[in-house]
Amino acid sequence: MRGDARSRRLVVVPDALLNPPAGAHDDLAPLAAAGWGVVALPPVRDEKWLETIVEQVVTFLDDGYEVALACSEDEAVAVFREALRATGRDVTREL
Amino acid sequence: MTTVAYLAHCLLNANAKVDEGAICEGVSMPVLSLLRERGCTIRQMPCPELAFGGTRRFWAVREQYDTPVFRAHCRRLAAPVAEQIRADLAAGARVVVVGIDGSPSMGVELTAASAEWGGRPDKPRDDDYPVTPGPGIFVETLLELLADARPQVRVVGIGQDLFDYDEERELAKLGGELPPTHAG
Repeated sequence: MRGDARSRRLVVVPDALLNPPAGAHDDLAPLAAAGWGVVALPPVRDEKWLETIVEQVVTFLDDGYEVALACSEDEAVAVFREALRATGRDVTREL
Repeated sequence: MTTVAYLAHCLLNANAKVDEGAICEGVSMPVLSLLRERGCTIRQMPCPELAFGGTRRFWAVREQYDTPVFRAHCRRLAAPVAEQIRADLAAGARVVVVGIDGSPSMGVELTAASAEWGGRPDKPRDDDYPVTPGPGIFVETLLELLADARPQVRVVGIGQDLFDYDEERELAKLGGELPPTHAG
């Protein structure tokens, strides 16, 4: 038995944060070090892929997990947020 | 040549694991560090079990998930991933799919299977976990969807669902599928 290591906290991030350009600051590492799980948005706009991510985040939210957004000004994150709001949920914490 | 690594969801978000299944709080840092060290582009696949059974699901074997509805669910989740993999291949990238050995859905070389599991959820998740050769249902589905592109895709499983998980051994296995250390 391993016990329950899950942090019950996750952050939705755009592809640019998961894959920063060469030489750019790594903004993912501190989130990971702080125990946040990462849900990465797809590298291109893809409604079907986005739908599956929204479903997963809804599952976490409905079970009381803390969910945050990173880079909320990023277009992909804004699109995700709108899709999430369409389900009647929202994420207000931004990291 | 760019290497694009498609990761099982839980390697970046251990919150998707079943209770007692996670080995870290969130991100599997050794895996992330290795992929970055090797200059990989990282993509995250959906977790078919989380979306299907939720966060409170019990651990399970392949037979408990192997229904037409779960397979259709896997196809729906895998389809956009397969499409992006094809796009990456068309762009000249090397693609590596990284699954979770020992998982009923994300296993690559090893899954969990048993004809005995079912009914009262009293099966311990310890050294009698029924690890069995073969892929998990999502990985199997994704590889089917890739069809003619399948031979161009490397697939490797990290044994985080194995009772005797050995991080050093599993990282070496993953590293063997990646390009040498990234200079930049």
